[in-house]
Amino acid sequence: MLGGYISDLEKGDVFRPAEYVLTAFMVREYAHGCEENWEGFHTEDGRIVRPPSMVHVDKMRILEVNTLKETRIKFMREHTPVTSDPRIHYEFHVINHSPAYVGDHIVVTGQITDRYLKRGRDFLDYHLEVHTKDGRHICTYKDKTLLRYRPYEETK
Amino acid sequence: MKKASELQVGDELEGFTKWVSPERVEWYDSAMLSAACGELSQVGVNIHTDEAYAKEHGLPSANADGMISTNWCQTMLMKHFGMDFVKSGELRNKYIKPVPIHSALVVKGKVTGVEQTPLGKLISMAVWCENDQGVKMVDGDAKVTVTS
Repeated sequence: MLGGYISDLEKGDVFRPAEYVLTAFMVREYAHGCEENWEGFHTEDGRIVRPPSMVHVDKMRILEVNTLKETRIKFMREHTPVTSDPRIHYEFHVINHSPAYVGDHIVVTGQITDRYLKRGRDFLDYHLEVHTKDGRHICTYKDKTLLRYRPYEETK
Repeated sequence: MKKASELQVGDELEGFTKWVSPERVEWYDSAMLSAACGELSQVGVNIHTDEAYAKEHGLPSANADGMISTNWCQTMLMKHFGMDFVKSGELRNKYIKPVPIHSALVVKGKVTGVEQTPLGKLISMAVWCENDQGVKMVDGDAKVTVTS
């Protein structure tokens, strides 16, 4: 179910798209944060290219517009205390199709492809597609998140 | 370092070791938040930045965001494949063990397959991270089609 908490998401939920313009600030901050200094990010056709792993930020953005009771970006910025069990990112899987350049209008779409219990733990599977507004395919992203971390002994 | 087009099955990629300091973890989390909202932002308390909070929620200690290890795996791939990775590469990581703060993380890769395709040479690799005891903390694989 959309519009609530991340823990309300269900298999088959189709996200409302998230859109934004990729700025040099965003790319700079992300690249600095992961100490990525590959020269080519500055020189591809004279344009700045984002590190492909930045698709993880796209996941945060699409959740922000779809889980309105748990706006993670807003909460993180405002240091809102988190009262729920922590979520654990379990799997990252990106397939790159073309670079995302500074100035590109990015459109993130996707859905929840599965939600299931495994060994007493609640998992959520995401499938996102990232395109430019004029239709160029940037990447496909799949993600697996453990919704509520508790030690294994407590899940029995 | 071999050129990407010359890689063969069994070749090891040029990995590296980084120290997972609390500063690095906070640095990444704040940068990710800043990139997400388009403005300079500072991350607060979470399982990555606060030891007490992490233990309160059943974790043995504060640990690194899984994306930090993925970013470092990506750095290794960028070094070898450059824009070919950005244009056609694939990277998958599974965060199989929490990476504690104040520990070393060793990024590694090894070529597992080489296949000529109409688009170029498809290089398949195992990509992973170990701690300094050789215990695998992050598992994964990658593929890149080398065009030059």
